[in-house]
Formats: sequence, structure tokens, C-alpha cells
Amino acid sequence: MLISLDWIKNYLPELRKSAEEIEEALTLIGFEVEGIERRGLVPLQHVVVGEVLEKAQHPNADRLSLCKVNVGTGTPAQIVCGARNFKVGDRVPVALPGAELPGGFVIKKTKLRDVDSEGMMCSARELGMGEDHSGLLILEQRPEIGTPVNEVFPEADTVFDVEVTPNRPDCLSHVGMARELAAFFGLERVRPVIRTAEESLSVSEGEALVDAVEIEDAATCKYYSAYSIRGVKIAESPDWLKQRLETIGLRPINNVVDVTNFVLHEMGQPLHAFDAGKIRGRRIIVRAAREGEKITTLDEKARVLQPQHCVIADADRAMVIAGVMGSVDAEVDNATTDVVLEAAWFHAPLIRKTSRGLILSTDSSYRFERGIDPAGVDVAARRAVDLILELAGGTLCKRVFHEGSCAIEPTVINVRPDFIRERCGFGPDDAGVKRCLEALELEVSEQGSGSWQAKVPAFRQDLTRPIDLVEEFLRIHGTVKIPECAVENRAMLRSHAREYTFRREVTAYFRSRGFSELYNYTLVSADSLKRPGDVEDPYPSLRLQNPISADGTHLRPSLIPGMVEVLRNNRSDGDASGCYFEWGRVYAEVGGQLVECIGVGLAVLDQPDRKNWLARQGVDFFTVKGMVADVLRLAGVTLPDAQYRLLNGCVYGQNGHFAVGGDLRKSPCRVELGMLDLKYTQRADINGRVYAASIAILPQILEKAPKAVRYASFSHFPPSYKDLALVVDAATSAAEVQRSLADAAKAVSGADIQVESVRLFDVYQGKGLDDGQKSLAFSLTFRAQNETLTDARVNQAFETIQQTIEKRTPFRVRR
Amino acid sequence: MDEQLKEIIERARGQAGEIANRGGFEAFKASFVGPQGSFTALRKQLGTIPKEQRPEYGKRINEAKDQLEAVFAEVNERLEGMELAALIGPAVDPTLPSPDRPVGTVHPLTQILERIVGIFEKVGFTVASGPEVETEFFCFDALNTPPEHPARDLQDTYYMPDSARFSNVSKHGEERYLLRTHTSSVQIRTMLKEKPPLRILSPGRTFRRDTADATHSANFHQIEGLYVDKGVKVTDLKAMLDHFARELLGKDAKVRFRPHFFPYTEPSFEVDFSAEHLGKVGKKWIEIMGCGMVDPAVFEAVGIDPEVYTGYAFGMGIERIAMIAYGVDDIRYFYQNDQRFLNQFA
Repeated sequence: MLISLDWIKNYLPELRKSAEEIEEALTLIGFEVEGIERRGLVPLQHVVVGEVLEKAQHPNADRLSLCKVNVGTGTPAQIVCGARNFKVGDRVPVALPGAELPGGFVIKKTKLRDVDSEGMMCSARELGMGEDHSGLLILEQRPEIGTPVNEVFPEADTVFDVEVTPNRPDCLSHVGMARELAAFFGLERVRPVIRTAEESLSVSEGEALVDAVEIEDAATCKYYSAYSIRGVKIAESPDWLKQRLETIGLRPINNVVDVTNFVLHEMGQPLHAFDAGKIRGRRIIVRAAREGEKITTLDEKARVLQPQHCVIADADRAMVIAGVMGSVDAEVDNATTDVVLEAAWFHAPLIRKTSRGLILSTDSSYRFERGIDPAGVDVAARRAVDLILELAGGTLCKRVFHEGSCAIEPTVINVRPDFIRERCGFGPDDAGVKRCLEALELEVSEQGSGSWQAKVPAFRQDLTRPIDLVEEFLRIHGTVKIPECAVENRAMLRSHAREYTFRREVTAYFRSRGFSELYNYTLVSADSLKRPGDVEDPYPSLRLQNPISADGTHLRPSLIPGMVEVLRNNRSDGDASGCYFEWGRVYAEVGGQLVECIGVGLAVLDQPDRKNWLARQGVDFFTVKGMVADVLRLAGVTLPDAQYRLLNGCVYGQNGHFAVGGDLRKSPCRVELGMLDLKYTQRADINGRVYAASIAILPQILEKAPKAVRYASFSHFPPSYKDLALVVDAATSAAEVQRSLADAAKAVSGADIQVESVRLFDVYQGKGLDDGQKSLAFSLTFRAQNETLTDARVNQAFETIQQTIEKRTPFRVRR
Repeated sequence: MDEQLKEIIERARGQAGEIANRGGFEAFKASFVGPQGSFTALRKQLGTIPKEQRPEYGKRINEAKDQLEAVFAEVNERLEGMELAALIGPAVDPTLPSPDRPVGTVHPLTQILERIVGIFEKVGFTVASGPEVETEFFCFDALNTPPEHPARDLQDTYYMPDSARFSNVSKHGEERYLLRTHTSSVQIRTMLKEKPPLRILSPGRTFRRDTADATHSANFHQIEGLYVDKGVKVTDLKAMLDHFARELLGKDAKVRFRPHFFPYTEPSFEVDFSAEHLGKVGKKWIEIMGCGMVDPAVFEAVGIDPEVYTGYAFGMGIERIAMIAYGVDDIRYFYQNDQRFLNQFA
């Protein structure tokens, strides 16, 4: 919101602070100043409009010119000038001898490089009008030669762009801001004088320009006031009014409309002026809009309304979208003679919904939706009446309409000054606390036994509880007075969430392996989850209700597409490591419901032809599988080999080389891993194969207490080894064979012999085997708890295992 | 005889230098001490020597044998040296670069997060976690944000369709699912689950429905702190943040509290920091975070008696701190993951 310092001073005549001091004050009482602009011109003597008659090279200086300037005195002045942006015939501000420019620079007749100079042609900065010092301020409007510059430019003013938090609608006006500054600086504030006396009006007697005002729904419009002014003369507003509006960025329209805008920005109460002649049926009705009702608002846009919008209508049609904007049908124009002035109090959420729904925010809606001062509605109306009568003439009709009620029960807060000091941890004596509250126009009365009653003014509807007064005290007392204290904390025995320490471990793991951590967006596009040409949404349940753009319509189901995108972007940059990991949430649908999972992703670009002075081993499926297992181990999760299976038909996985492990319906994690589809990576302009994994872990699993470790005794006797090769169908999974063998091994284990491990060490397919067969070789480790095993005992157990396999499985033992 | 022995030794010494491998070595040895070897032949002549000369002859033979064996040992050692050298390869040039990947990089946002957590960790704050898909209750209602508050609009907050159900994000009632707009929702979940006193940090990803530009991102990260105990005061909050500023920016850092408005704290402040080396940013005071005393309405929503307990809360954007700390001028760099960017934080 723009606030004019000059305007504020109307209500704070004693305010003698610099713009910087005021900026700091506003900031420290909770109104962030987002910008300060100095407008207009301070009063300057001997600075006039001049016209350049001649421009010649200075005889002794390359960078200076020697000019003859007509300053309206009859004799052209000779002026040496360093600027270059002007030409003969330009009109510019000229500071004549005797002038004192902002900053205290006094102009005298002088010699510059031995040539007389009788003044100075000025830039905007030299006149104190902004920062532009690139050249002379060329007066394009060509004002009369010799005119004092103060007649060309408006008076100096400082405009603050102030952020007002949503809880402080009372400060959305100059009077409101003046109240705050008065409280902070301890100044008297002066209220605008209202000449139209309440007592001169009547709600039942006398005439008016309408016959009736009706509110159909008291919930949407709490109060509606209408004043009739007959016989106005619409004209341009006087300069002071136009300047006030222009300073805060408003365009003057005419005297009546300008008055309503002025009062809105003076007191914060939106008003609306109707041309009484355009009100059909002499009735004003506050009602819900009809379904599809059309209105053309003052911004000349045709709008279609809905019943949830509230309108001000006459007998026939909507004239105003209540609290938001009027229509072109009832606006005050040059032919208007009779005016009906509206001052109302609309339900804030209704105005917010209307404004948002129509995407139409106005100074009026902005204030209504935050809440206006109910006690100020008619004060503002009478202030506007005063000004209309003063500027546009006319007479106020005796009869006014006051429909509904703007009376509110004043808020009284019971508070102890001790409470305020306790919550702050410091504070002055009672008088000091009271002074702060009274400065904000609260009426504080002592109730005995250290308790106060604070009566809150109507414009401060945000203050309802004792804690609210703690903030008010701090604002006015000054947050800079909060004393420096030591951090005093008693110990607490809580631990970090396991998710957080897990993340630290994962980060350290990948960092030490040369991986770079990525941050990709959680929201992804539907396209990134599809093959080119696919029409159907593969993840409809992950779609947001209200995405903002096609780039981010879905919660990501996997970290892989994001990492591929990074590989794509970094490939063109040459020497990227090609090893990435990412931590972040991923989402999955499980049994008709969604789950949020902790996601860990990794991607490795295998670049066999990457130049390197020493060859290094490449990566493959099992490199990635190993790292996945490591990450899962850090999470306290094990995913048995048997739970991995090939995943064909995945958008980014290479058939036959991409797998999925685990199932979130049954296990605490789901992993997808392997080589990425070569066409997919080629489309991403990636040369070489990409091996990647995306791990999804249910967060709740991390909060489970880790299994307690119990030591088990182990044998001190030497082991004995036997190798065994099994010929199986090529389609049989290694895990299945391993399980059969482990089962057989378990069956022979007893008190005197144990099979300690069954380890796969060779996979063979080819010569010596039938097509469609493969051989898996395992190493078995035998050991006994209390003795050294004899060969005979080992051979016996080994033979039993082989027989079991041959009897119970379709696998053939290679003997 | 002596002549012959002398000749054998000299021949052995002469040929020894030419032996280049084990095969050659074996043939070489055989030519002297093998069944057909010249030395073996001489030794065999011992039986034909007259008895009285035998001791002397035997002595000569043994001397020659020792000398031959010394030659063999010498060759053997030389061959072993060669074999070992062949096994380990030539000497390395220690100035060659390692062909392996350099140590990885931790993303600057993670690094800043760790730095912030590290500062508060020392004072006894511990991290709490919670879901990124949240519900209106935990994100707004419990935080004293009324239903008509603009932050809850479809224009500002991402929602999931009404049909969405999350099996591991608990609801309070029948409210909608959304993407959390701040990590304060974790504070609510933690206060509902654990009893005061509490001192927690809730870092994590958050979402606001903004169009991306140099300072706005489709998702960003926050870290919030919450301290609930008996008798927590504004001065405690200020002391904590003074400490944080000095730890983060150095001993000369200063903190300014500007009164502000948040629905979930009262009083509320925005916090500005100033420090010598931040002067380059161009402004004396730089807005860093928001904070305040927990609003009694929030305590009531989670069943903590506001007459007994008070508390403070603060929250800041991790991207913002990272941008200030590292001088990064566009938030989007954090999500572009350009290797040249990432490497700067290795």
C-alpha cells in the first residue's frame, strides 16, 4: 500500500522526522517498507525554465560545452555545461546565481576553465528528484521560459510502499498509519473535521433520492447506509485532490468519484457514489446475484455472476458487485446532478470469495475482505459528504438510510501487567506498560490486585486476548529493547528421527563413492512418465487436483526420470562424473490407496569409451544391486534375492535387464533397478548405458526399534569345503536353486555337522550343456561345533545332499 | 683335473649372466650337475683315482661344487628378482592422477541444512519428521489458520483430489489432503504424539503454488524449530536466535525482530540479520526467518494447556539461507543440478 508522507502529516502536524526515521519506525512496528519514492520538487529559489539558444565547444575543455541560455530575463545567460544529452532548442531547468540546490550546493557566477558561467543547467538528481544523473532533465512539455520550476513540478513528497499484514486492516489508510506513528513517536494525532452533523439527518423524515434500501440477506451485508445529495456539479477535482490521488498511483476521474477514493485512502472505508438518475425504481436492493446475471464493471469487462456473489441492484438490474466494483450503468458521469452515496459493511469472507472468484481485486474489496472499522462507516460517509458539498456543490437530503446495524459490542480484555512482563521475559513498570497500550488508544482501567481492563477501540478487531496485548506492548515499547540473554536450556533426552539419521548415513555412503547429490522436483509431468505417443495417464491416482503447469501435474512415483534428466543436461557439459544419487519422497499406489515413501535413487552412467589413462572396470546390474542392498541395510531392511524379478515393459527399464524387488503390500520397501532402456536414454541424448535404481521405503518401518543383537557361540574347529554344480533349466532363477540346495543342506545339519554356508560361485551356459540349460556351481562350507570333521563324515553329508537334490528337484547334479 | 675343474667353474660363471628364464636355468644347471653334466662326469672319476690322492681330489671336487652352487644361487636370485618385477610391473609415476571418481558432492541445500541442524543440535534440538503430503488439519486448522484464510485457497496450495486416500498419512477428520505449505505440520504431529517439554526441529520439503522465477520454486525447503516448556519467554526466543545468527554468520552478527503476523504465533516477528560480510548483499538488514511465541490456540488444538505451557517457534527457508551464505542469485540453480554448480560445493 502506498502512503504519502505529506498526506500523513495532515493528521500528525507535529511529525518532524526524516523519511529514514519514519521508514525505520514503520519497520519496527510491523509494517515492512518495501520501497520509498521521493516525488515532486522541494521549494527552490532562482531555479527557472530556460531554453538553450546556442551550444558550442568550450575553448579549453573537450568535455564541456559553452551555451547561451534564454532564462526569460531578456539577456541570455552564458553557461558552461558538462552534459551531452541536450540540443539547441531544448528547455531545461536552470539554477541561476543565488539558487541553493538540495544538498546545500549554492550556485554563483563563476569561471570554469577560464570561461564565465552564470548558472547551471540541472539533472533530475541535482534538483533532488530521483537518481537520474545521466544528463540534463529535458522538459518535454516545454513550459514557459522563465517559469519557476516549482510551478512545473508538483510539491515534494515521500511515498512509502508499506506492507500491511492481513490482521491489520485498520492500517489500510492514511489515518490508520498516522495512528500507528502517533503511538510509536508519542505524538498527538488530529482527526479529520466532520462538518455534516449526525443530528442533522433522519432515517424517517425528509426526502431522499431513493425510496427504499433493502438488504435481502443480513449475513452478507451487515450494514448499508445511503446518503442523497442533490444538485451537484460534476467537474475536474482541484489540484490538491488530484495530487493526493496521483501521489498514491490513482487516476483522478471527477470531483465526486475522487472524493470517494480520497476518503477510502484517508479512512479506509470504501464508498460508492451512484448517479441517482440511473437508479431504476428508486430502490436499492442488496441481494445475491442471479444465476448468470451479467454486469459490465467499470474496467469495461463484461462479467457473468453467480448466486454466491452479492450485488447492489436497483429494481431492474445489478449496479455494483457489492464491495468490489461498480458497473458502467450506474456510474457518476459529467451529466450527473444527483448522487446517492453508499457506505456499507459487507461480510469479509463473501467479498474475498467474490474477488477471488472473479479474479478482480480492488482497493475496495481488499479492505472489505480484511475487515473495516464498523464504527467508522458513517463517519467516512459524512466526511465524503462534506467534501462533495465543498467541491461539487449540491445539498444533502435530510433523509438517510441506515439498514442493518454496525453496532458492535466493544471488546474488553482482562490482563495483568505481570502477565505481559512474564511472557516477554522483561518489561518496564506498570506505568510503562500502560503507556504503550494507551498510546494505541486502548482504554486501560485498573481493577485492583494487579489486574487491568483494556477496552479495545472498534477499529482493532484483531485484539481479543491477553496474549494479543503482549505483542502490542512489544511493538510500541520496541523490540530493540528486548535484552540480550544467554541461551538457557535444560537437557532433553529425545533422539533425532531415525529418518534423519538414515538420511545422513545414505548421504555419507554415496558421497564416499564419488556420487553427486541431486535435488529434483517432487512434482513431475505426465509426459515424463510415458512413452512418446502414449495417451493414457499411467499414474492417474498421483495427479494433483490443481497443478499450476504441465511441468508438475503428478507426484513422482520414481526418482529415475529426474536423474536421467540431469544426466541429459550434464552430458553436454563434458566431464560430468555420471554418478548421481537423490533423496526425496516418492509415491505409490498400493491396494487402491496411496503411500508416501522415503525415496533413495542412484544412477550411474557406464561409459566404456570414456578416455582414461588407466582402464577401470565398468558397472553392471549387480553393481547397482549391491548398492541397493547397502542402502536397505542402512535402513535396517533386508530384501532377499528371491524377491527380485525381471520387470519388462517399464517405460525406462531395458527388458531383460531391469528388475523390481519387493512389494509394498507385503514388504517395507520396493526397489526398481537395472539398465535403463537404451532407446529411452538415447532419446535423452545420453551415450552409454545408464544403470539406475529407485528405492521406496515406508517411513514407518524406520521408527521400528532395531532387532536386538544376541551373541551366538561359534566353532573353533576348521571348516571343510565341497563344490557342487547343478544343471538346471535356463529359466530357473538362481534363488530357487539356492533355496532348494539350502533346504537340502539344512536337512543334513545336526549336532555333529553343520552346513555353514551355501555360496553360488559360477554360472555357466554353453558347450557341454544342452540348449536351454545352465549350470550353477555352489561352494558348501561344512563345520562341526565341537570337533574337526573327518573326510568320511563330510563325504557322507555331501552325498546325502546330492541325493536329496536329485530326488526332490528337477535339477541334475554334475558329478 | 684341476684344469678341468677350473674350466667348469669359469664356464659356469661365464654363462650365468646369459640365463634369462627358468628353462634356461634348468638346462644350464643340468649341463654341470645333471646326469650328463660335465661336473658329474668329473665326480664320477673319483673312483678311478689312486686311493692316496682321493682325499685331496674329493676336497677339490667339494670346493668346486660350492662354487658352482654359489653361481646357481646368484642366478636364481637374479631370476627371482626378474620374476617379481614382472609380477608387480614397472615403478609408478606417483604424480599421475587417480583415474577413479573423485569424492562425491553433497548438495548445497543438504550442507546448509546440516549446518543449521548442527547449530541447534548443540543446544539440544532434535529432528522430527513427518509426511510431505499433509491434511488441512495438520497444515492449517491446528495452526489456527481459519478455513477462509487465503493461504488455503486452491490458488496458493496444491491439493490432492477428494478421492485420494493415503494409507500412511493419518487424517484428523474428513479433511482434504494437500502438499504441505510449511513444515509446521510436523510440529503439530509431534505435539500430538509426544508430551512437553519438547525441543524439536522439522526440516523438509514444502510446496506452494507459485510460478517459478529467480526467487520462487515449485518446491522448496524449510527448517522450523519448536520449544515448548513451562515459562518459555520472548527473551528465550531472542537469545536462541542471537546465538544462531552468531554461529551462522560470525560473532559480529546482529538480529532484529520486526513485529509481524502469523496465525500460529502471538506475538509474531520477522527476523532480520546483519553481519559485516553480508554487507555486499546491499542491504544492512536481511530478512532471514519468521518466529514467535506459540499461539495459545495452537496449544489448545493439540491438547496442551496454554495456562501451563508456553513456547516459541521459528522457521526459515533453507534455499534462502543457502542463497545468502553462498551468494547464489537464482533459486532455480539448486534444482538444475549442473555439475559445474554441484562441484563448487564439493
